[in-house]
Parts: sequence; C-alpha cells; structure tokens
Amino acid sequence: MNIILIPIFLPLIMAFLILFISEKTKYIKELTAIVTTLIALMASIAMFGGALEFSLPWAGYGADFKLKTDNLNIVILTASSFFSFLIAVYSFGFMRKKTASTKWFNFNLLITQAFSAGAILSDNLLLLLFFWEGLLIFLYAFIALSNENRNSKATAMKAFIINAATDLCLVLGIAITGYLAGTLNMSEINASGKLTMHGWAIGGYLLLMIAAISKTGAMPFHTWIPDAGKNSNVNFMAYIPAAMDKILGVYFLIRISVYLYQLNGGMQIMLMTIGAATLLFAVMMALVQTDYKKLLSYHAVSQAGYMILGIGTLHPIGIAGGLFHMLNNAIYKSCLFLTAGSVERQTKTTDIRKLGGLIKNMPLTGLFFIIAALSISGVAPFSGFFSKELIYKGTLLTGHKVFFFIAVIGSILTLASFLKLGHAVFFGKRPETLKETQEAPFSMLAPMLALAGLCAAFGFGAKLPVKFFLEPSLTFLSLEHTLPLSGFHFDKLFFISVIAALIALISHILGYKTFSKPSKASDHIHHAPGLKQIYSMAEHKFFDIYEQAMSFTPLLGKCLMAADNFFDFLTDRLPSLVINSLSKISQKFHTGSYPLYMALTIIGFALYMVFVLGGTK
Amino acid sequence: MTQVCLLKTAVFLPLLGALLIPFISKISVQTRNLFALTLGILTFTASLMLMPHVLGGMTITYNIPFPLGFNFTLTADMLSVFMALISSFVSSIILFYSIGYMAHYENQTEYYAMVVLFLGSMMGIVYSTNLIWMYVFWEITAVCSWRLVGFFRAENDILKANKTILVTVFGALCMLLGFVMIYSGKGTLDLSILRGETISLLAAFLILAGILAKSSTLPFSTWLPDAGVAPSTVTALLHAAVLVKIGVYAYARIFGTSVTVEPVFAQTVLIIAGLSAIISAGAALVETNIKRLIAYSTISQLGFIFLGLASGNNVAFIGALIYILTHSVAKGGLFLIAGILEQKTHPKDITKRGGLLKTMPITAISFILCALSIMAIPPLGGFFGKFLVFAGAIQNGNPWIIAMFMFAAILTVLYLLRLFYLVFLGEAKEHPPKEGSPTMLISVAMLALISLLLGALIYYPMFYTEALSLKLGVFLQ
Repeated sequence: MNIILIPIFLPLIMAFLILFISEKTKYIKELTAIVTTLIALMASIAMFGGALEFSLPWAGYGADFKLKTDNLNIVILTASSFFSFLIAVYSFGFMRKKTASTKWFNFNLLITQAFSAGAILSDNLLLLLFFWEGLLIFLYAFIALSNENRNSKATAMKAFIINAATDLCLVLGIAITGYLAGTLNMSEINASGKLTMHGWAIGGYLLLMIAAISKTGAMPFHTWIPDAGKNSNVNFMAYIPAAMDKILGVYFLIRISVYLYQLNGGMQIMLMTIGAATLLFAVMMALVQTDYKKLLSYHAVSQAGYMILGIGTLHPIGIAGGLFHMLNNAIYKSCLFLTAGSVERQTKTTDIRKLGGLIKNMPLTGLFFIIAALSISGVAPFSGFFSKELIYKGTLLTGHKVFFFIAVIGSILTLASFLKLGHAVFFGKRPETLKETQEAPFSMLAPMLALAGLCAAFGFGAKLPVKFFLEPSLTFLSLEHTLPLSGFHFDKLFFISVIAALIALISHILGYKTFSKPSKASDHIHHAPGLKQIYSMAEHKFFDIYEQAMSFTPLLGKCLMAADNFFDFLTDRLPSLVINSLSKISQKFHTGSYPLYMALTIIGFALYMVFVLGGTK
Repeated sequence: MTQVCLLKTAVFLPLLGALLIPFISKISVQTRNLFALTLGILTFTASLMLMPHVLGGMTITYNIPFPLGFNFTLTADMLSVFMALISSFVSSIILFYSIGYMAHYENQTEYYAMVVLFLGSMMGIVYSTNLIWMYVFWEITAVCSWRLVGFFRAENDILKANKTILVTVFGALCMLLGFVMIYSGKGTLDLSILRGETISLLAAFLILAGILAKSSTLPFSTWLPDAGVAPSTVTALLHAAVLVKIGVYAYARIFGTSVTVEPVFAQTVLIIAGLSAIISAGAALVETNIKRLIAYSTISQLGFIFLGLASGNNVAFIGALIYILTHSVAKGGLFLIAGILEQKTHPKDITKRGGLLKTMPITAISFILCALSIMAIPPLGGFFGKFLVFAGAIQNGNPWIIAMFMFAAILTVLYLLRLFYLVFLGEAKEHPPKEGSPTMLISVAMLALISLLLGALIYYPMFYTEALSLKLGVFLQ
C-alpha cells in the first residue's frame, strides 16, 4: 500500500470503528484516536522530501483521485497531523469531566484529520473540493455535539451556513479554474503556465480567495468563531478554528495566489486590505472581551489577518512570513485555548471577572500561558516575533507603508489584550472561592508543554522552521529571495517592536489604574468617545453579515412566496375565472326559448355571409 | 432471454401486470402486495439486464409497424436504460415501503394497480422513440397521477387532483400541437429519423410547455405542492422519483439527443429554470407544511437539472444526468420520511414538531443524509451533479444565470437546514413518537445509504453517463 494513503484512510476507517465501541468503555476510544493520529503523523513525517504520487480514475472528465506530495503540502500535512495527535492526547483528560459524548468527539476528530489530509494531499482540484467541503458536516457535528444546550446547535447552524455559502464559491471557482486551464490537476496548471488576471480568471480567483480566507476565519466570514468560542468546548476551538482551519485556509491561499494564478497589483492591494482590516478590527474586539474563550476566538480571527497580509504582499519574504505565522499561530493559539480549557475544567468558569491569582494554584498552566501570550504578541525571542518580522518586512518591501502601521497597531493591541487577560486570570487578587483550585492533570499539561516548547523552539532566530519548513516550500513555489529568513536582527524593526510593547504596557497600566480591576484594563479604549458607539453596534451584531442576512431572509422568502402565488393565480385561478365567466355568458343565451335560438342562428348566418362576401372582394 | 425480449418485458410486464392486480387481490392481500412488488423488481431487473448490452454500444429495437409513420418503436439505448433503471428502482423501493405505509387505508387494490400502471407507462415513455407513442404513455401517467393524487377522495383532494391533471394535460396538449407541427414539417415523429434535424422555435416552445407542466417548473409549477394531499408514497413516486423526471427526460431525449433548435430557445429555458429555482426555493423557506416544503424543493432542484440539460455541453449534460440520479434517490427518501412523520406525528405543520432526533434516530439520520445529498455536500452523491452542472454552465458562459443558481443553491442549504432544525432538533412539542414500521425504515435507510454510496462509488455512474453523452449527445460542445 502506498504510504500517501495512510493519513487519509487509516483515520477514516478507525473513525467508523470507534462508532462500534460502546460508550461505556473507558479508554479504548481515546487510545484508538491517539494511536491512529500518531501513525498518521509518523506517515506524514516519513513522506518528507519525497515526491509521492497516487492516482486512480475517479469522477471522469479529468477528475482523477490524484494525490501528490510536494515540499509545500507535506509541511502542511505534518502540521495538521501534529495537531490532530495533540488534541487527541489533550481530550483524554479534558473529556473525562464533560457531558458531551467522547465517542462522537473522537469520531469527528479522526474524520476531520482524514478529510483535511485528503484536501492537503489532493493534486486534483475536484478531489480537494470533495474533501474540503466534506469537512462541513463534521464541523457542524463538532459544534452541535460539543454541548448539550440549544446555543451550540444555533452556532453549529451558523457555522454550517457561512461555510456552506463560501464553499459554494469554491465550487464555482474550481469550475472556472478547470474550464480556463483545461485541466483540474494543480501541478499541470502550474506546469502549463499560471492563469493571468483577465476576464473569467478574475472571477475565478476571487471565488477561490473567498473560500480560502473564509476558512482562515477572516472578516467578514468570521462571525461564527466568537460564537463557537462561547458555545462549544476548547478542544474544538483549539483544534478547528485555531489550527486546522488556518492550516487549510493559508495552504490554499498560497496555492491559488502563488501556484495557480499570477496576481496583479490590484489583487495585492485587495488581499492586503482584507488582511489589515481583519487584524485590526478583530483585535479591537478581542481587547474588550471579558470571556477567556471569546477573547481568544477574536484573536483567532485577528491572527488570520496577519497571515493574509503576509501572503497578500506577494513578496517571497511576506509569503514566508504568512506561512510561518500560520504555523506559529496554530501552535500558540492552540496552547492558549488549551490553557483556557484547563482553567475552565478546574474552576468551572471562563469569565475573567471571576478569576484571578491562579498562578499560585496552576503554575505550569500559567507558565505555558505566558510563553504562548508572549509569542502571539510578537515579543522576542519567541516564535511570533520572527514571523511578524517577516510580514512587516514584506509589507514594507511592497512600498505600501500604511499596512505596516496597521500591523504594528494590531501588535500593540494584541499585547494589551494579553496583558489584560493574563493579569486578570493568573495574577491580581485571587477570589476566595478559587483557593482550592488544583493544577490540571498530566494528559492536559503534556500537550501544552509541547506547544509552549515549540513556541520557544521556533523562536530564538527561527533557524529550525526556516530550514525544514519555509525554505523548501519557497523553493518549491519557485520564490527566490536574497534577504535571510532566519536569525536575529537588531534593526529598526526590533526597536519598533520594543516601542510597541512599551505602548501596550503603558496603556494597560493606565487602564488598570483608572478602573482598578485587571479585567477592566481596556475600558478606557472600550468607552472612548466615538469607539463606544461602534463597539455597541458590534455587540449588537450590526456588522455580522450572517445575522443581517438571516434577518432579511423571512422577508425574501415571503416575497418569493408571493411570486409563487402569482404564478399559481395565473395557472389556477385565472383560467377558472375566465372559463366560468365565459360559460356564464353563454348560459345566458341558453334560455330554452326557440325564437331566441332562431334569431341567433339568423344573425350568425348573416354575419358569416358578410364575412365571406367581404373576403371575396 | 434475448435482448428484445428483455425490452418487451420492461415495458409490457408492468403495463399488463397492473391489469391483473385487481384479480390477484381476490386471492389475498399479501399475494397482491407481493405481486405488485415483484412486478416492480422484475421491471428493474429487465432494465438492469439490458445495461451491459447498451454499454457495449448496442441499440436494441423492437418495432410494431403502424400506418402513417406512427410505428410503435421501443428502443433501448444508454439514455433510456439509465432513466428506466432509476425510475423502476425508486418505484420498487416505494412499493416495498407501501406495504407498511398503506396497510391502514382503503382502496389499496386501486392504489397498487395505479402505481404499477404508472410505472409501466413510465417505461413506455422512456423506451418509446416515436413521439406519438411517447405522448400516449405520457397521458396514461397523467390519468394515473390524477387517481393517485385524489386517493383519499375528500373534497379538497379531488380539487387538487383535478388541478394536477388539468395543468399537466394542458401542457401535454400544447406539446401535441408541437408534435403535429414537426409531423407536418418533417413527415415523421420517429426520433431516430429526426436526429440532427432542426425544428422551428414555435414547435420547440409548445413542446417545452408540456415538459414544464410535467416537470413542474414555472409557470406551471404550483400543482406540485398542492398535490401533497396525496399519500406520501404517491408524492414520493410522483414528485420525486418518477413523474417530474418525465419532463426532464423528454427534454434530454428530444432536445439533448435528437433535434436542435435555435440557441435562443436554450437561453430562455435557462432563464425560466433559474427563476423557477429561486422562487420555489424562497417559497420553501417560509412554507410550514412538510410535504409542500419538500415539493417546493423538488421544483427548485428541477431548475438545476434544466440548467444542466440546456447549457449545451457535455459536462453540463452529464451533470444533469447525475443530478437526476442522485436527486431521485435523495428526494424519494425525503418524501418517504415525510410519510413516516405523517403517520407517527399528526400535525403536518413543522413548527408544531420538534425533538424527534431522540426518539426516531434512524429516520433522522436518513433524513440528514438525503438532505445533505440535495444540498450537494460531499461525500454525498449530490455533490457531483451540482459541481458538473455549474462547471457546464460556466462553459456556457452567462454569469447572470450562474449567479441565479448560486443564490438558489444557498437557499437550498437554508431551507433544508431549517426543516431539519424544526422537525428533529429543539424541544419535543408532543408525546414523542416511536420509529415507523420495519419496511418503512428499511426503505428510507436504504435510500439514504445509496445517497452516501453514490458519493463513494461515483466512478460507475460517471463512466456510464460520460459514455452516454459522447455517444448520444447532439451538438454538445
């Protein structure tokens, strides 16, 4: 058997086997999931460097079941398998105290791994679409089954509908791409020359881009993520919105923007604008949240903005930064969600106004939180600093300095929000009720330790990820660059990051001194004149396109129903009315009166004669 | 058995068998049910046994000469066998389901006779190459559907049944006029002779009226939701699997593989189909009666099939055929599930239901699988049809048409999810019902499972329809 099939079909088969294991058994389901994802991870690593291929005739019309590894997708695959494995390990401890079904959680986890691996390894676009869109069902199931309450069902529906709509864009985009290129195999499209931006290709690229950025969770397709942060569990949040969706979205965005299409300046500006807007607005929202998980969810959106900004530069340095930032983000964001999970499990709450001083009770969780928070805030020497530096450089190299400034402002606010979160949860005054809180169990700490370790390993000059992940991917995409990707540079960018950190710190101290509670440290921004109204609108879901569209659909449905009723009138009522009135008129002449019939006959005959004679003239 | 014999079996067995059902019913109820089911299965088997022959490139013809070019000709080619297989298969499942579902009603003998007669005349339509015989069978299906829609014989049922037959017969008469025009122009109604000929625009539109009336598309669509007064098996048979597919089959047969018309015709069809898809999807979004809702959904999905058929290229044509296949299976499943719900929980209003997932898990899972197939979410089979139809529409190259269908596709997701939420999730609003009878459950589970399998094994139908389109399609790009 070809090794390329293992990361797809092994989890798929095991997922269905798990369904046959009784819900009552204690460890078998979890261990199955752990071992399966571990094997998938090892298979992914084993495929490094090679160029494997697998092809079977499948759906006709050039749509073969064609899988192919290259230096880009194998990095992505390894990352996704790694997160599947990590979450499987973490859930071992976390799900023990939960009401939600472990059987279905593990089923969803394995299927998601299988389908993601399929989407990543597909060389054929239809196959990619098949796996990508297939994830929808399991996204839905994940959210709907993560909690018993009704809210999780509503959020699941929201996630499903938003993603289904953008996946339809993908359907169209892929159909257009296939039509323009004459083939659906990505390697063949690339080999025969990338598609250039004119005519249908513009529409094709835009549709594909919508699907890719919506997967990463960029605005305006992000709104289900904060809802899910509130209504589902952290395993899901750490796994899907923080890791898997970003991995797939960024992977596909790079594929289309660099590998399949040759973009022009307009597209570059558009991508960078989407990225900058997403990172700024989402971090503004994150700053004012008071729920641990919801705050992190907005960061999951905001960080996607950095990745899109980096890739949107279309400069090798920026693209490397986007890819690197995606890997880093998956690591620290998962880690942060996992710390939220530990805190939730041990204290039964994620409301940061009710938390405080937990560093004494949960020192390891606190330590991992600090490392991950420093990394996401772009503080050297942790990993986030280096990927952000690459993105900054990329934006500066395009000459559009405004995006650089927005990115720096985003960094300041990111750090400010983590100062607030960390201060409110792990430091400050500990409420009396939390005195007896215990540290999380080992199976939950181990994944956090691994992730925090990676934050450090990918930092300190970033030599490791650059050598193994970034350089091979760039070479594969034939992106040449002269600037070094790794190493630590005492240049202007470093000093800007130090200044940014200081501003964030001052802002935090200012807020804390004014409102004297760490959870209110951002209120001076929240209640600033002008911003207050905008925040209020955002909190009432004014900017949520899903809620807006949903409030509009009943009216739309009624209008279309009225149109349908109109056609019903045309084909049902109107003919009946006409026939009835005609028959009523002719009834009037059928009185049974012989003279009347005679008179009518004579008049009719006379008219006929006039008609015939008139015609002969 | 020779191939011609198989062909005769496929058509005449159900037609003549239906006439025997009233006599068989004198023996016993069980024998009658079993006999009807056997007729369905044998019809399916006969078409199935024809498949390897037509796949080998053979065309099997059986001819009874009639004067004036009105020969009764049956032809088995790839398209007719494809359609016959789908309709006889779904009909057989419906007959099997009926054994459980119809057990409590009166006039069952008429029911079984009409269903089998319907199946036979459907086979007649599918296998006839002479338009005049196609018309004859077409009208027999109209009469059967009239009896079946008004099956419960209440005042309202009879009104709706009359509406059904009046609208479809009006369309059929228009179509007959169109046939007469062709006949007076070309001197024949044999499609094998007409192949490649161009017919006038007026004749084409007249024929289209018949097709739209039968396939329930704007402006003749509204009889279909009204016909929901019939037993659920009938609605499944008529609305999902067989009756509404007659029109699209006729379109594929006449305009896809036989004659050509000016391009403006196909463009008009596309616009009508797009409007039909959007309007009925919107109606489904606010409808509260489950059977009417699914009927609106059918109208909407038929628009997509027309999109594929009228786009004028191989990809779209294949897409439409795959769509017919996956939609017949999945929509048949949905209607049969509606039947289970109707028997087990009395209100038809979906807003008065809820929480059935807990007490009816098999029904709920079957429902969601069928619904996902119609939404075209992989790994369900429906995905491929929709992708190919869109791919073909792109080759056709009208962005407005594509935008219309894109919108309809999003609405499809919305109304099906809404239905699922209202019926299966949420709070239980009445005494929670139990699952339906085993024959009913097996039927719906089977249709759901086939929807799933079509996704995994799409290679085979794809292979078949690709060969079909390349061999039979005329003037497809």
